[in-house]
Amino acid sequence: MTVTICIGSSCHLKGSRDIVSRLQTLIAEHGLNEQVTLSGAFCSGNCVQGVVVTIDGEQVHSVSPDNAESFFQNEILPRLAQ
Amino acid sequence: MLKLNQDDNIVSIKDAVLCEVARLAFEGRLDEEKETLPYEMIPGPKAMFRCCIYKEREIIRQRIRLAEGFTPGGDTSSQNVVQVISSACEECTLGHYQVTDNCRRCVSKKCQSACRFDAITMESNRAHINMDKCKECGKCAQSCPYHAIVDLTRPCKRACPVDAISWDKESGIVRIDEQKCIRCGACIEACPFGAIGSRTFMVDVIRLIRSGKKVIALPAPAGEGQFGPGITMGSLAQGLKELGFFDVYEVALGADLTAAYEAQEWAQAYKEGQKKVTSCCPAFVNMVKKHFPTLLPNVSTTVSPMCAVSRMVKAKEPDAITVFIGPCVAKKDEILDFALEGNADYVLTYNELRCMLEAKDIVLKPDAPEIQHGSIYGKRFATSGGVTAAVVQALKETEECADVNVMVCNGAAECKKALTLLRAGRLPADFAEGMACEGGCVSGPGCAKFEFDSRKDRQALLAQADDRKIWENLHKNVDTDAFSMHRE
Repeated sequence: MTVTICIGSSCHLKGSRDIVSRLQTLIAEHGLNEQVTLSGAFCSGNCVQGVVVTIDGEQVHSVSPDNAESFFQNEILPRLAQ
Repeated sequence: MLKLNQDDNIVSIKDAVLCEVARLAFEGRLDEEKETLPYEMIPGPKAMFRCCIYKEREIIRQRIRLAEGFTPGGDTSSQNVVQVISSACEECTLGHYQVTDNCRRCVSKKCQSACRFDAITMESNRAHINMDKCKECGKCAQSCPYHAIVDLTRPCKRACPVDAISWDKESGIVRIDEQKCIRCGACIEACPFGAIGSRTFMVDVIRLIRSGKKVIALPAPAGEGQFGPGITMGSLAQGLKELGFFDVYEVALGADLTAAYEAQEWAQAYKEGQKKVTSCCPAFVNMVKKHFPTLLPNVSTTVSPMCAVSRMVKAKEPDAITVFIGPCVAKKDEILDFALEGNADYVLTYNELRCMLEAKDIVLKPDAPEIQHGSIYGKRFATSGGVTAAVVQALKETEECADVNVMVCNGAAECKKALTLLRAGRLPADFAEGMACEGGCVSGPGCAKFEFDSRKDRQALLAQADDRKIWENLHKNVDTDAFSMHRE
């Protein structure tokens, strides 16, 4: 699974770097380094929905540093379990 | 506003767009005015470069999107930094090898005997190549005493070292296979119509500077010579600060770090009998990842100079936003890999920087206060053979075995050959330095100047550097315990 996080300036100002480090920690804690790849993405123009996060290039999720953990629990973990 | 005229070439059209986009972004007017920009740049009524003004404006429109960091055609699924500007692609209808009028239908028929695939027949007035049999080896073209056979492969396809380029059968427009593409940018330079370009982070960087963030510039060691005679790293630093960068650190210092740690890694590998390849050229690393994945353990785990200096800056100033500035397109791709923690946040090319300086009417001055963060060995990282020389120097300084046998791979073709040999267990050297651009970073696709135009100025500027040693420089200037120099 590839999770991409927008690194554009708008998402940067909304805390994309914090989200990356939180997800990195969560992925490491759950021992999922082999299964989940985190990568950066160019701005896609969906700045109002930022921070823009996509899973395997599909739908856009709007994530903030505060809900990064629930995003991990609700979106990433269930998909891995499938 | 820069006025385009008929004598302008691809470089000036591309730069004019970058410059205008930078100007509007600095003034905070980009979103309101980007729609009208194509009309201002191509006022008409006469077309200057292409068939009509509508095509020209569409090319400008797509170039604006690239400058903003988007894909030219609005495809949001592509994460490739190298993009085809579809409106600019001339759908070259070239075959591969073709027999021209120069053919004398000679008696010796060297082309026929050179062809191993029996693809050449003699027609009534000239030789003919049967495309179903031709394997494009080029032997016929080499053998013809009249140079009557020419290679008419599309320039982008010929430039691509990893065969990532094909085209849509119906429209003829070029396509880049993202799985194969190593982001080296060779096709960008090769296309005579300027139909391939790279996405930029220019607008992002300008917006962050304007928001008052602590944006720190990291100019790469290819910088000397890029901006003309006497423009030192000090001159560049002064200009960068005028643009709004908070501070400037030379990546040559990161190159010293990379050389020092790579030397330790090589010394260890040498004792264990393992062969290593360098990790600083991102296009070379992509080549290994995508085309020689079994060789990944052979890539040294030492991080690139860009990552090294960014980690050093962030260890000191955690709220810093680091921006690498270099001649490289593939570096823009390296930062998308979050496995490399603490890497630069954004990447600009020297050419983009030149356009940003022009947008703000900043002229770099030769008499700026001098700065030197890296040793001369770090500064020479940007030239083919420079990484090897620096690592050997670091080995000497620590009195490790300095007589290592290194193969310098200058350009993607040599890199591919060395990796093929390594995979087959037949690499004649212990270590290989890989640089995807021929000549090294100084010939990169993101340069502000061609290598032959910058060479003389670069040599004169490098001659002014002091003779500090690599470890001496690191001991004096870097707290090497504050951050890791390895990938994981």
